[in-house]
Amino acid sequence: MKNRFLKGIAVTAVLAFSATGFAVTPAHAANEIVVWADETRGPNLASVIKAKGDWVPGYTIKIVTYSSFDALKDAFDKATGTSGPDIVVGGNDWVPTAAKSGKLAPVTLTASQKARFNQTQFFDLSYKGKLYGVPVDINNVAMIYNTKLVSSAPKTFGEMVDYYKANKTAKGLKAGLCIAGGGMSWGAHSVFSALGADAYRMSKRGAANTVQSFNPSVFGANVKKYLLTSGKSNGFFPATDTGCKDNFLAGTVPFAVIGNWEWKDYVAKGFDMNLMPVPGIESGTYGHMFGSVSGALLTTFADKHGVAVGAKSLLVNFFASTEGQVKYQLLEGRPPAEKGAQSDPSVSAGQKGFGSAATLAGIPQIGAFLNSNKGGANYWDSAPAYWTAVLIDGKDPTIEARKLAAIWKGNVAAGKADL
Amino acid sequence: MTLLYRGKIALVIKIILLAVASAILLMLAQSAFAQKEYAISAFLLISVLAMNYVYLTSRSVPFKFFLPGTIFLFAFVLAPIIFTVVMSTYNYKTGNYISKQEAIERVIALGVEPDEAGTTFDIVVGKTSAGELAILASDVATPQYFISTKTKRIDLVSTDLTLNAYGVATTAPNFTRTSISDLTGNQDYTKIKYLYSDSYFISIEGQDVGAVFRQTLKYEPSTDTFRNLINGTIYRDNGKGNYADSKKQILEPGWRAPTWFSNYAKLITDDHVRGPFIRVFIWTVIFAVLTVLTSFGFGLLLALALNKPLRGRRMYRSILILPYAMPSLMSILIWAGMFDTEFGAINNILNTHIAWFSNANFARSAVILVSLWLGFPYFYLISTGALQAIPTELTEAAAIDGASGRQVFSKITLPLLLQILSPLLIASFAFNFNNFNLIYLLTGGGPRDQLGGEIAGATDILISYTYQIAFGSNVQDLGLASAISVIIFFLVAGISLYGLRKSKVLETFE
Amino acid sequence: MNKWLKENLWRHVVALGMSFFALFPLYLVVISSLNPTGSLQLTSFIPREISWNNYKLLFDSPAIPYLTWVKNSLVIAGAVAVISVFIGASSAFAFSRLRFRGRKTGVQILLLVQMFPAILALSAVYVIMERVYRFAPSLGLGSQTGLLLVYLGGAMGVNIWLLKGFVDSIPIELDEAAKIDGASPMQTYWLIFIPLAAPVLAVVSLLSFIGTLNEYIMARLFLVEMDSRTVAVGLQQFIGGQYSQNWGPFAAGSILLSIPIVVIFLSLQRYIVSGLTAGSVKG
Repeated sequence: MKNRFLKGIAVTAVLAFSATGFAVTPAHAANEIVVWADETRGPNLASVIKAKGDWVPGYTIKIVTYSSFDALKDAFDKATGTSGPDIVVGGNDWVPTAAKSGKLAPVTLTASQKARFNQTQFFDLSYKGKLYGVPVDINNVAMIYNTKLVSSAPKTFGEMVDYYKANKTAKGLKAGLCIAGGGMSWGAHSVFSALGADAYRMSKRGAANTVQSFNPSVFGANVKKYLLTSGKSNGFFPATDTGCKDNFLAGTVPFAVIGNWEWKDYVAKGFDMNLMPVPGIESGTYGHMFGSVSGALLTTFADKHGVAVGAKSLLVNFFASTEGQVKYQLLEGRPPAEKGAQSDPSVSAGQKGFGSAATLAGIPQIGAFLNSNKGGANYWDSAPAYWTAVLIDGKDPTIEARKLAAIWKGNVAAGKADL
Repeated sequence: MTLLYRGKIALVIKIILLAVASAILLMLAQSAFAQKEYAISAFLLISVLAMNYVYLTSRSVPFKFFLPGTIFLFAFVLAPIIFTVVMSTYNYKTGNYISKQEAIERVIALGVEPDEAGTTFDIVVGKTSAGELAILASDVATPQYFISTKTKRIDLVSTDLTLNAYGVATTAPNFTRTSISDLTGNQDYTKIKYLYSDSYFISIEGQDVGAVFRQTLKYEPSTDTFRNLINGTIYRDNGKGNYADSKKQILEPGWRAPTWFSNYAKLITDDHVRGPFIRVFIWTVIFAVLTVLTSFGFGLLLALALNKPLRGRRMYRSILILPYAMPSLMSILIWAGMFDTEFGAINNILNTHIAWFSNANFARSAVILVSLWLGFPYFYLISTGALQAIPTELTEAAAIDGASGRQVFSKITLPLLLQILSPLLIASFAFNFNNFNLIYLLTGGGPRDQLGGEIAGATDILISYTYQIAFGSNVQDLGLASAISVIIFFLVAGISLYGLRKSKVLETFE
Repeated sequence: MNKWLKENLWRHVVALGMSFFALFPLYLVVISSLNPTGSLQLTSFIPREISWNNYKLLFDSPAIPYLTWVKNSLVIAGAVAVISVFIGASSAFAFSRLRFRGRKTGVQILLLVQMFPAILALSAVYVIMERVYRFAPSLGLGSQTGLLLVYLGGAMGVNIWLLKGFVDSIPIELDEAAKIDGASPMQTYWLIFIPLAAPVLAVVSLLSFIGTLNEYIMARLFLVEMDSRTVAVGLQQFIGGQYSQNWGPFAAGSILLSIPIVVIFLSLQRYIVSGLTAGSVKG
C-alpha cells in the first residue's frame, strides 16, 4: 500500500512539474483598451474601430458586445474590474450610481473639445461637478402623425382629442395618441408635460428649478378634460405602450410618440417624417421631452489595468471626435451628439427631424432627479403608475396628481445634492 | 472484465488519470498564487491533496464516491453561500461597494479640483537632460511654453522650440521626447504630478493633454482621516463605510464596511422594510400552496381520467406533456403577452378589458393560472406513475367488499397516493417558494402602488422581492438582500425539514 | 352506449379541456413566429399574414449565428447533463448504500444546500469567476468552460438528491449478493448499480439538459462573445433591446429549439414517468 501511494505521488509530481512550465498569460494585455457595449452599438463600434486601426497610437482596442442593454448593465453592476471594461458605452442615468460606487473615473476635456458639444450633455454625464465620460449619441422622442388621416399638424392637444372623438367609430380608431417608443415613463413625459406636469422645470439659464413642482389641480383638470369621460378613460390615450407601433402602422392610431432609434421602421413602411413635439394645451406650446445622451464612460478599472491614459485618448480621439461620430452613426443611425457630426451631410433627414423637434421642446434628462426615490418612488416607476391609476383603475386624476407632485418634488429636492 | 476494476491495468489507468488531474489543478493553483488569489489557490491545493489521498489509499471508501461532487459543491454552491452569509453582515450597497483601500484611493483621486479657468495644455512626454521624466507643455492660445517635472518648471520662449502646424511645441533644448511605443503600458509617467505653481500641478489626461489641478483632500494614514486642505474640515471613518465630517456630510465613494447585524435589525425595526417583508412572505406561502394544490389537483384528475385504456390516450398524453417539455423561458413570456390589456388574447376571448397586471387580485390570479399551466403536466406524470405503483389487489379487494368507487378512492387510493407523493409535493412547494423565473418574467412582481410609495409588488414573492433589492434598477442593497436570502433559506429549510420528518423520509437515515 | 358515456365521457371532457389549455399558448407562439411585423400577434386566431421571414432571418442573416448558438447550447447542456449525472450518481450511490460516520449529517447538509436561493448567490459566483479569469482566462468569466463548471456545481445538489431517491428504491438484496461474491463497492457500483440505474440516469440527464437550456440569467453574464452565446441568450436579445422588442425571430427560434426537445421528451416519456416517481416510490 505504502509503495503504491508513493509511486502515485511520484508520477503526479513529475507530471505536475512538467505542467508548471506552461506560463500563465495575463488576462488583460498592457496595451489593450477594453470597451463594453450593447448588442446594437457593439458590432458597429467594432467595425468602425477596425476600419481605422490607429485611433490611439500604441494601443489595441477590444470591443466586448453584450447580448442586450440589460445584460450589459447587469454585468457592469457586478463587475469588479478583473476582466471589466476600461470604457463602457451606457446611458447617462448610469452615471450617478456608478460614480457613487467608485466605478467611474473623471475625465478632463480641453476648452476646444468641450465646445464641440451642447453643454447640457456634459451635465447629463456629470456627478457632483465631475465629468465621467463623453456624449456619443442622443436618444429622444418625437410625435409622428399619419398624414393619410390628419392632413396638417395639430396645433393644440385639444385638436387631437377632438379629431379622435369625431372619427373614432367612422375610421375604427383604436386610440388617439399612444406611446410607441420610450415607454410610459420616459416616452410619455411629453404627454405629462403637455398637460402641465413636468418632472422638473428648467429656468431660463438652463439650470433646473428645484423649488417648484407642477400644479396638481391644473394637471388633474386637464387629464379629466382631455383623457376622461365621466371618470373613465375616453380611449384617446392608452395606459400601456403595447401594440402602439403596430396600430399606428396599420392606420388605426393617428398620433404616436416614437423614438429616434426606430424611425427607420416607419420610413420602411412609407411614412414621411412628419415629426413634431406633442402640442400643448395652448397653441404654440409643446410638451417637453427628454433628450438623453448615451455616453462613453471611463471606468476606474482603466487605471487598475494601466491603460487610463490610452482610454482617455480613445474617448477624445474617437468617441468625441467628428470623424469618429460620423463614421459610427453612419452604421448606427442615431443622431450624433457632436456638433460637427450633426452638421455633416451624411446625417439623414430623420435624424434631423428628431433634432429639430428636440430644439423646440427638448429638456435635458437629469438622472439625479429621475433616479432618486427619496420622494417615495423614482420617476420611472411613478410615472406609469399614474397612468394606470387614472386610466385603468379609474382613480381621481387630481388626487393621484397630488401624490405624484409630492413624489417628484421629493425626488428633485434629494437629487439636487447629487448634481 | 474484472481486470478493469482490480489489477495492474486498472491501477495504471487510475494513476495516470489522477496524475493528469492533479497536474492540471496544481498548475492552476500555482497560477492563482502568482496572481495573488490565495484563497482559490489554497482550495485547489487542498483538492489535489484530498484527491490523491482518497484515491491512492483505502482509508475512506465513501469518499472515493463523494469527492468529485464535494469539490464542485464546495466551489460553486457552498462558497457562494458562505459569501452571501458574510455579505449579509456588511453595509454593502450602491455607494458602499468597493474595499476600504480602494475607496481611499478613489477619494484621493477625486479630491482634486481644476483651477478656475480649467486650464489645459497640449503636452509631449519625455525626459530632461538629467534623465528625469518631464512634460513639454504648450498653451497655443496665450502662447505659453514650459517644461515641467515633478519638482521644477522651466519656462521657455517659442524661439527655442520646434512648433508643429498647430503651434504645439514638439522639441525643446535639454528635452528628449519619448516615443509612443515606450509610453504604452508605462505607468510611471502617468502617476507623476508635474509642477505647475505652488499649489497647482499638471496631471496627464490623455496621450497629448495635461490639465491643471490642485489637491483638495489629503489622507492622513496615522489618524485614518481626510483633511480638506482648503477649509480644514476633517472627515473621519463613521463606522458605516464612509468618511464623514461633524455635520454628517460624507465623502464618496464609501466602502463595504462590516456592520454586523444591522441588516437583520432593519428587517425587524424598519417599518419600510418589515411591512413589505411580512406581506410578501404571506403571499409567497399562499402562492406556493395554491400552485401545488391546483397543479396537483388537475394533474391527479387527469391521471385518474387517463388511467385506463381510452381512445386517443396516447395523443392526449403527448399534448398534455407539452407545457412541461417546452422551454419555460419562452412560454412564460408568451403568457405575459397574452395577458396584455389592450391586445392580449385573454381579454379578446373573454371580450373584456381587464388590466390584468395592474390590479393586485387579477395579477395574482394570472400568476396562479400560469403556474398551473407550467406545473400540472408534472403532477399528471407523477400521479400516473404513483397510481400504477398502487397494487391493484388493494383496490380490487375493496371493490369486492362492496365499497363504491368514490369510497375506494378516498379511503384507499388517495391516502396511498399522498403517502407516496408527499416528498415530491414538498419538493414542489420548496421549488415554487423560490420560483423566481415565473414572477420575474411574468409580472416583474407588480403591480406596485408606486404612488403610495410601495417597494414590494402584489405578486412579488420573497425571492423576486429580494432580487429587486439586490439588483433592482438604480439603488442596489446587496447587504440587505443577502440578509433576506439567509432568512428565506431558514424558512424553506425549516418547512422542508418539517415536511420530510412528517413524511418519515429521513427516518431511513437513523 | 349509456355505459360508455357514464364510464368515459368525463374522461374525454377532462382530457380535452386540459389539452386545449395546454395547447392554447403554444398555438399563439406559432402564429407569432409567422407574423412579419415582429410583434406578438395575440389578438386573432387566424394569422392575418403568413411569412417565413422570421425563420429565414435565423438562417440567412450573418448577424444572427443561430446555428452556432444552438450548437453551443447543445454542447454545454449536453456536457452538463452527462458530467453532472456521472458525478452525482456516485455520490448518490454512496449516500444510499455505504455505511459510514456522518452519513445522516451529510444528507441533511446536501438537502439544505440545494434549498439555498441560488439566484442571490449570483454576485458571489460572478466575483469568483472574475478571479478565476485573472489566472486562467479560459476557465473564468466569459468562457463556456467556466459557465459549464458553474452549472455543474449548481446541478450537483439537486441531482444527487434525485438520484439518491432512486438508488434507495433498488432492492438492497442485489448488492448484498454482489458483496457475498466478493465484489468491492467500486465493482458493485459499476457492474450492478450503473446498468440498473441507466433509465433513471437518462431521465435525470434529460431534466438537467432542459434546465440548462432554459437558463439565461447567468449565461448572459458569462457568454458575451456573439459566437459563444447559448441559444437562450441569443434569442433573448431580440426581446431585451433597450427600446425595442422583436418577437418574431424569438418565437421562430424558440419553436425550432423546442421541437427536438419535445420529440425526445415524448419518446422517453415512459422512462420520465418512472424516473420522476422513483424518488418517492420505495421498492
